[in-house]
Amino acid sequence: MSDLVLIVPEAFLLLGALVALFADVLARGHARAGAWIGAVAAILATAAALWAGQGAPALFVGQFAVDGAAQVARVATGLLTAAFLVWLAVVGLQRGSVRDFTALVLFSALGAMLMAAARDWVVMMLALEVATMPAYVLMGFDRSDVRGLEGALKYFLLSMVASLLFLYGLSFVIGMSGATAMGATKLQPGLVGALAAAFLTAGMLAKLSAAPFQWWAPDAYAGAPAASVAFVSAVPKVAGVVAFARVVLVLAPQAPSLPLLLIGAAVLSMIIGNLAAYPQTDVRRLMAYSGVAHAGYLLVGLAAGGEAGARAALFYGIAYAVPSLGVMLVAATVGNTLGEFRGLAARRPFLAWATVLMLISLIGIPPLAGFTGKLFLFTAAMGGGLVPLSVFAVVMSAVSAGFYFRIVRAMFFDSAAQDLQAPRVPAGAAAVVALCCAAVIGIGVAAGPLLSAISFTAK
Amino acid sequence: MSLIPGLLSAIVFLPLAGAVIVPIAARLAPGAAKWIALAVAAVGLAMTVVLVAGFDVSAAGMQAVTNVSWVEQAGIRYHLGVDGISLAMLALSSLLGLIAVIASWKITERAPAYFAMLLLLQVGMNGVFVALDFVLFYVFWELVLVPMFFLIGMWGGARRDYASVKFFIYTLAGSVFMLIGIIALYLSAGTFDMVELAAKGASGAFGIGFQNWVFLAFFLGFAVKVPVWPLHTWLPDAHVEAPTAASVLLAGILLKMGTYGFIRVSLPMLPQAAAAWAPWISVLAAISIVYGAAVAFAQTDLKKLVAYSSVSHMGFVMLGIFSLTAAGLNGAVAVMFSHGVVTGMLFLIVGIVYDRAHTREIAKIGGLSQAMPVTGGLLAFAAFASLGLPGLSGFVGEFLSLVGSWQSAVIPQWVTIVAAIGVLLAAAYTLWMVLRVVLGKPTETVTGLPDATPREIGMLVPLIALTVIVGVWWSSLLAFVDPAVRALVAVITKAV
Repeated sequence: MSDLVLIVPEAFLLLGALVALFADVLARGHARAGAWIGAVAAILATAAALWAGQGAPALFVGQFAVDGAAQVARVATGLLTAAFLVWLAVVGLQRGSVRDFTALVLFSALGAMLMAAARDWVVMMLALEVATMPAYVLMGFDRSDVRGLEGALKYFLLSMVASLLFLYGLSFVIGMSGATAMGATKLQPGLVGALAAAFLTAGMLAKLSAAPFQWWAPDAYAGAPAASVAFVSAVPKVAGVVAFARVVLVLAPQAPSLPLLLIGAAVLSMIIGNLAAYPQTDVRRLMAYSGVAHAGYLLVGLAAGGEAGARAALFYGIAYAVPSLGVMLVAATVGNTLGEFRGLAARRPFLAWATVLMLISLIGIPPLAGFTGKLFLFTAAMGGGLVPLSVFAVVMSAVSAGFYFRIVRAMFFDSAAQDLQAPRVPAGAAAVVALCCAAVIGIGVAAGPLLSAISFTAK
Repeated sequence: MSLIPGLLSAIVFLPLAGAVIVPIAARLAPGAAKWIALAVAAVGLAMTVVLVAGFDVSAAGMQAVTNVSWVEQAGIRYHLGVDGISLAMLALSSLLGLIAVIASWKITERAPAYFAMLLLLQVGMNGVFVALDFVLFYVFWELVLVPMFFLIGMWGGARRDYASVKFFIYTLAGSVFMLIGIIALYLSAGTFDMVELAAKGASGAFGIGFQNWVFLAFFLGFAVKVPVWPLHTWLPDAHVEAPTAASVLLAGILLKMGTYGFIRVSLPMLPQAAAAWAPWISVLAAISIVYGAAVAFAQTDLKKLVAYSSVSHMGFVMLGIFSLTAAGLNGAVAVMFSHGVVTGMLFLIVGIVYDRAHTREIAKIGGLSQAMPVTGGLLAFAAFASLGLPGLSGFVGEFLSLVGSWQSAVIPQWVTIVAAIGVLLAAAYTLWMVLRVVLGKPTETVTGLPDATPREIGMLVPLIALTVIVGVWWSSLLAFVDPAVRALVAVITKAV
């Protein structure tokens, strides 16, 4: 029975999603009650994930095990989801029902939590689908927006192709190993093994919006409500990094070509993400390319190989997710285009300075989370012998300052157009943004506890 | 006198507390921002004076040390300390920080944000000179970028948007290479501790091949900041667009961070690479000296003239450092200190003139000695200090740098001769500037303008005093610097 304690967080999320769906019946007249219920469920799930600790329950015959990395990813997913849902409960949506939105968010978080702890190829595949399926709907949530539907469709189609690639790779892997447990994976040396590893990697790259499978992201993000982008671009990625790291940790020793693939994808992602972000005038598109670039930095850690790289990648995943969520929540409040950010410093100084803090963390300015994450990433990469790749990555970080600063310049150096009103910022929404800022500083300055909590070796 | 534990931390982080309090207090009491900033800067300077008074000048090692764990899992420590070189820079930073607040007294546009940025900048400036852990050093190093970006971008001149972004990206691009160097040293030696790394460098723990490429990584980071020709192009833009106080701190402190980095990192940790690269760097230094001076000649904007003269003066610092001699290094630190004081004065005076005349065109502000006699006199004094008149602080450092460079075993003697020509050029463009701006018949623009106010004169007085004291009594500064310099030279001589 005590084994079941480990899946209590998932149970809370599932229960929360189901209750949220019927929130209108339970709390009549409170349009956003569903989001509050969801937020409570996410907080309970986080508490349960902290309390349940780590372990590999015998009941699940090795398909599901919580190690340090899984626990960190589960707690981070829970906290980010809770923060997002509190924001949703306070601000609401422009179109569509909050309860449906909440339920989809919780389902996605549920998939993410499962994914972080999955130790079996099939379980991981299923968890990956549970995490991404709701995201298609979230991206196309505004059904009156044709571009939104187009973006969501692109996302759906590419994501399906990625899933099929992953599944195809899996069929090889499971066939060769004769078992579905990740620990039992045995790749045959030679072309077939290398191909299988490549298919699995391609699937993961697409889910992470890394190049060369990044092209769905800008269209999908630009057509979606900013609130959807805030969640989809940030929260499921934390668990995604854990899953990707596990795939690499299992396959890399057996597929010598895998690090090369990861290095190629990293370089490509950093180039495309950082350069294509420059001309964007839509904050959602800009952040989509920013996401591609950050996927590139993550891949530097994964390409470094070994546990040090994987730990750094997860740390960086969190250091990316928090400010990315924060910036998109600000965009959801202020507006989607750079034009709507103009003069924000005069209209809403707090939001403007908070955005600056989160953007410079994304650039990698110390002592914020993004810097500490990059320090660990590049230490791992250079320790793994990837010196030229690390040099390239730091140069690209400097390049990224230019497009992030387009937002800063719009907010501070430009004056607002006459008809722009100061956006409505409820205290609760400001509090969520403030929490993101506090986390960005906290993770950066006091990195020790988080770093030591992340471990990919079973205890 | 013994040193109070935690004093260094207080000097570094008091401005951070100020930067947090200022925007909050300004909501409760409008107009409080500048008073809080003034109080914080004054207390900071007072604490620095206590530190200087308690400093043991006969010792070469680090003093007032704080060394506790920070991010234990990654080997990062909170390690602060000062030797004579850092102390001179810290004192300069505290003094110019206070003067920058006074110089900004008339700022009314978004004043709380302005003073918060000024104080945040102070945290980074103070921290760089006392950090002894590499990660901590990098944190402070990068911390100055953000407030300086906003100071230029929000309160700057007409092309502030361009200048602020150029400043930020240019210097960030340089410093990310430094991060690579830091990680390389960490992976090789297993520590981020700068004192331990210096000891390892001295004992020959790093191979010459490794030293050479790590040296290059640090060189890119530091040389952009100095700036060394041809990496200087951000500087004139940033200086001209920056508000007066930001120009003072940019020239007075931020440029010194680069040369301080060479002294604290490149020389002790990578001594063999430093010796190998020294001839080439000395050539770049000589080019900086002559190029900066030649371009200063051509300027029609007074502030731009001072900006290019900085490129020239910082060339002397580079020359002194890479002479790898005691005289040269003492001279380098003396130029760093003196240039901070004197260029600070020059920018403040340019600001005084600009506030009234609303132009910095040399042709339009001639004849200050009659129109604004006090301002004109101060400008002439600062100009003489800048060109290196014996008896004023500028002479000490440039003289010693050239002596060191001439004695040096690594610098070709023709480089020293070229650099010495720079001294003549400096005298020429500075005196020509004095001739046009101070002497002669007042132009229409400056006729009838009010002279400097007591506040403006008051903020210049300590700088004038320091210029004279250091110029006449060299050892008031060099007594602090020399023990640290000799220890460093001993290490290099042994290693090479």
